[in-house]
Amino acid sequence: MRRKSSRWIAGLAVACAAMLIAFAGSLSAAKNAAQVKPTHVDLAAEKSLGTRSAPVTLDVYSDFQCPSCRLFFLTATTPLMNDYVASGKVYLVHHDFPLPMHAHSAEAAKWANAAAEIGKFREVETALYTKQDTWGATGKIDDALDNVLTPTEMKRVRGLLDSPEVTASIQHDEDLAKAKGLSGTPSIFITHKGQTVQIPAQGATYALVKQYIDYLLTQ
Amino acid sequence: MDTTSTIPVTSARANWPRWLLLAGRLILGGVFIYAGYAKLREPWMLFAFSINSYQILPESIVSILARTLPWFELLLGVVIVSGVALRWTAAAASGLFILFSAAMLRAYVKNLSIDCGCFGYGEKLGPLRFTFEGALLALALGVTIGAFLMRRRKT
Repeated sequence: MRRKSSRWIAGLAVACAAMLIAFAGSLSAAKNAAQVKPTHVDLAAEKSLGTRSAPVTLDVYSDFQCPSCRLFFLTATTPLMNDYVASGKVYLVHHDFPLPMHAHSAEAAKWANAAAEIGKFREVETALYTKQDTWGATGKIDDALDNVLTPTEMKRVRGLLDSPEVTASIQHDEDLAKAKGLSGTPSIFITHKGQTVQIPAQGATYALVKQYIDYLLTQ
Repeated sequence: MDTTSTIPVTSARANWPRWLLLAGRLILGGVFIYAGYAKLREPWMLFAFSINSYQILPESIVSILARTLPWFELLLGVVIVSGVALRWTAAAASGLFILFSAAMLRAYVKNLSIDCGCFGYGEKLGPLRFTFEGALLALALGVTIGAFLMRRRKT
């Protein structure tokens, strides 16, 4: 009888020990997960909109200080988000391609990527394009973001501007652009069923882009 | 004996403008047929992007032109190859090349990042394209002048 109860006690002790080990393991994993920093791959996802499995992918290489990029964003990208991205038909990918000819575009790209780290890319992107004239002239990018970032967020974003992840994310996009031989912005690529077509930015109005996407979706 | 052997040579020499015109006509017509075909095998919107990138025409006309111009080029090419009304079809081809060249030159001067759209999608504008376009314009003008001279010779 005593032997039987000691077996029970030993079994219980082993089970408790196993539970303790498992608990400690999960705590450690959670701690590690909290310490993982976003990579440029994560930032790329933050800079994209829609579902990756959408039938059409629209890649836009953009410079926040470029007037044509602003025009394309306001007149084509924004309605596209509402009409096609939201319904899962188009996957919209933003790529940074700050041109040396624009004095503040590299800095603006840093702000946008740093904002992506805290999940605020879309808001910052919209503010940067909307207020391009203001910060483009003064270089005071943070002033343009006052309305979309809280003081705490602003402080966090400012702290991330020169982080290795932000630098790597921009560099990754620039490398992609150079590999494609791009020299100007916006450079727009539409991919459908593995076939990619670069459309001339000067001719890419929303009406034409929409007709082309509608055509692709029927194929 | 000598006389009979020189007759074909003289005849061939006398006919060289005719052969030259035939060759020019076939090349010019072939270029138009290929240009039309290259655009028709792609969705018309791609050509519309190209036309729109020149920033000359309103978008409503761009759409109509993108759908119809490739068929016109194809038809013009076939008629030029056939030789029917060559003076007028070659003149029309010359007119088109003058228009295209002027549009390209304007875009180049304005530093527009455009897609030529000449033989389908994806052709960038540059010195090579201008050289080629100039050669085609010279060919079209040559065929037009040749066709008029040939007609005058007949009458």
